[in-house]
This record gives sequence, C-alpha cells and structure tokens, in this order.
Amino acid sequence: MELKKEVIELISKTLDINEDEVKADQKLYDSIGVDSTEMVELVVTFNKHFGVKIETNEITKFSTVNEIVDLIERKKQF
Amino acid sequence: MSDRVAITGVGVVSPCGLKKETFWANLKKCESFIDEVKRFDASLYPSRIAGQVHELDHYSHVSGRLVKKIDVFSHMALVASEQAIKDSGMDLEKIDKNRVGVFMGNAIGGWLFAETELRDMYIEGREGISPYMASAWFPAAPQGQVTIYYGFKGYSKTIVADKASSALSLWYGSKVVAQDKNDFVLAGGMEAPITPYALLSANTCGQLSKNNLNPKTAYKPYDLDRDGFVLGEGSGIVILEKESKAKKRGAPIYGFIKGIGFSSDGYHYLRYAPESDDLEYAIKECLKDAKWNKEDVDYICLDGEATVIGDYLETQALKNVFGENIKNIALSAPKSIYGNLLGAQSALDLIITLFSMKNSVVIPTINQLMNDPYCDLDYTPNKLKEKTINKALIIARGRGGINVVLAVEKK
Repeated sequence: MELKKEVIELISKTLDINEDEVKADQKLYDSIGVDSTEMVELVVTFNKHFGVKIETNEITKFSTVNEIVDLIERKKQF
Repeated sequence: MSDRVAITGVGVVSPCGLKKETFWANLKKCESFIDEVKRFDASLYPSRIAGQVHELDHYSHVSGRLVKKIDVFSHMALVASEQAIKDSGMDLEKIDKNRVGVFMGNAIGGWLFAETELRDMYIEGREGISPYMASAWFPAAPQGQVTIYYGFKGYSKTIVADKASSALSLWYGSKVVAQDKNDFVLAGGMEAPITPYALLSANTCGQLSKNNLNPKTAYKPYDLDRDGFVLGEGSGIVILEKESKAKKRGAPIYGFIKGIGFSSDGYHYLRYAPESDDLEYAIKECLKDAKWNKEDVDYICLDGEATVIGDYLETQALKNVFGENIKNIALSAPKSIYGNLLGAQSALDLIITLFSMKNSVVIPTINQLMNDPYCDLDYTPNKLKEKTINKALIIARGRGGINVVLAVEKK
C-alpha cells in the first residue's frame, strides 16, 4: 500500500474520524484539529506500525501528512 | 421573597431509563431494574448484582473520537448534561459562557478506563498506556469534559464525599448561583462502579447485598431481611439559575433548592456513629437553613442504605427530629428500584422528588415485605401513593457518617 494512504488510514482509525477529513497537504491542526495528546497517540501508533522510532518532538500538530510520510521514509532507511 | 435558586432542566442516565420520560414511567411501574452483572466475569464476587445502563451509546450525542478518550462516567455526564441543557431551553448562542459553572459529584472516579490502561502498561510497557489515562480517570474529569464540550468558563468544582457527593455538589452549585457568581450552573453527579476492580473494591466495604440469586428483590431497605444495598450506575444533572432570571426568559421551573444541613459523625472512617445525633443535627440545620418548621415537610426521600445499622439510625433520627408528626410525612427510598448510584444518587433523588411534586405521587420503597420492629415507620412500601408535595427533604449519608440533607420546594 502507498505509504501516504497507509498514514491517512492510521490517523483515521486511531482518532475515529473519516479518512476524507485528513488532507495530505494541510497541517493536522488545520484539517482535523488535533491536540497535543492526540499527537502522542499518533506517534506511538506510527512507531508500532512502521517499526520506526519517531520522537514526540519530531512531528507536531502543525505537521502535514506529507511531512510525516517523508519522516517515516527517512527513518525506515536507517 | 428573596430570589430563590430554581431548577429549570433535568438530565437522567439511569438503569431504568436514559430520558426523563422513560425514567419516570419506569419508576411508576414499581418493579426492580436490578440484574446479574454479566459484562465481565463476576462469578466469584460476593455481590454480583447491580443496576446497569446498557444503551448509553444509543442515546449518546458524543463523537467516537471523544468517547475513546474518556471514561464511561464522563460519557454519562455528557449525555445527562446535554439532556438537561435542552430541557431548560438554555440558548447556548446567547448566554455568557463565562458565567456558566459545572458542579459535579462522584465517589470513586473512572475505573473502567484506568483498569484497562494500567493492565496494558504492565503488559506492554510505557508505550502501552493511552495518553488519555492521565485525564480520564480522576474524579474531576467529568466536570472538565462538560466544560470543554460546551466552552463553559464559569466557577466550577467537583466534590468527592462518598454517597453524599452530588448532594453537596447541588448545594455548592446553588450557593454560587445565589451569590450571583454564575448565571447558570450544571449540577449533579455521575458514577460508573460496575467494572471489574470498582465492583470488587465496593464489595470490600461490606455494605452490599449478597442476595445474588434474587437480584430483583435483593435491595430491600427497612425490611427485616435486608442485607445491604445494591450498586447502580448512571448520572443525574440539573440546571440551576435564579428564579427571577428563569422567569424572565420563560424557562420551565421544576422547583427550588431551599436549604442544606450537613454534619460529620467524626467517629470511624467507614462506620456510622452508634447514635443518630449527627444525622439529626443535619436534618435540623437543613430545616433552619430553609426557614421551615418540621410540620411543613410533606415528603422525605430517604437514604435507604438497607444495612441493619444504616436503616435503624435513619429511622431513629427521623423519629427524634419529627416526633409524632413523622406520621404525616410521606417517606420512601425509590433507589430500591434501580440501585444506589453512590456519588450520583442524590442528583437522581432530587429529580425523582421534583417529578413526585409535579405529579403528586410518591414512588415507593420496593421489596419491603417483612416489618422490622426497629424500623417501624411507613416507608411507602411497594405501591405508589398519592400525596400533594410542596416541601421535601432529601437525605444522603456517606460512609463514616457524611450527613447531608437538602431542602427542596415546589412553589
């Protein structure tokens, strides 16, 4: 599955919201109004799912899906 | 006459109904809504029967996104609050949200969320625990969730005082309205003790009925054969505002909170003092606060703990305060129908009392079949009784003797 689609699916499933609300090029805060606690939940979910080690300060509620995808791709290469 | 604190909206989540109409209709059936606990394996628990709320999601307006972050006791409070706000006709677009407060009471906090997450933490480690654990379990969580949900920013508090929690939150909320610190207060309580740990913990207090084979007849206050109360879960929330403001906006008025009396036994951390003096003091203080004579009271919604000592002490206190006149006052413990909701109980007692006033009918104490010579008052056994009620008291007693008595009037 395309990584971007996978990330959007995970966000939607973790927060219990519709996938089409998550816009890949918008900040998460702007598209779905995430708060900092939801971001912690998302980081834990990404780490478990992709087997990577993202720190909670590496992505924030002002990150876009595209930026998160780039970060996960970089982390997976190491 | 001074500007009284009016009750202008009610919201109910209870084992016998999740809307005020259903709640009242089911109470009038005078049948038990207590069943065996089946949502987890409670087969080895000494008391494994309870009044349970089965259809919360069906009646809920709360999004799945939020439900995942909160314990069920906050969910119940949100559902009851929404009902109460709609019932009162509060216009959320027009009111000053800086002057709306939330006063909630519960006895034990939110254990379903806590138990699950602590288990995950010990199994999976640090990352197994939900980041919402920190904000989901603690007793002030429902107050926080309700204020956040509606954007209410007025002076707010949560009170923890065992079975008297919501009686105190109602009083505290009414004082804040009377002192004009808030225009509106959402006051009441919520409790969700039917979880594996919370039910186990409640069992250790020794006050729960172990009559598991007969759930429908287990909770029998004032009966000779009583062996304790049965737990229930749910929430009751009311809207409080000044009489003058309520009338100005044409709000429906159910009744008025007129006074409170409270005292503490100061005897033991769990048990009541062996004499009823402290409860008597609370009742007298309440009458004084309401400026009522003891002859004025038409109805008393009883604590009805259904323990040998609890019911005896309550009976003694009533006899000592009211004397012969107690025969003219209707008494009952309607909670025998659906269980004792601990910190949320007094809020439902208030709502039942208001509906009883409106309909001139007393909801009985069910399952009272054998008379106890030490509990020899008329507790309105088993059948509805017609009675005009204008002034009523509500008694709540927490473990260790937290005595709270509320005075409520219709007109």
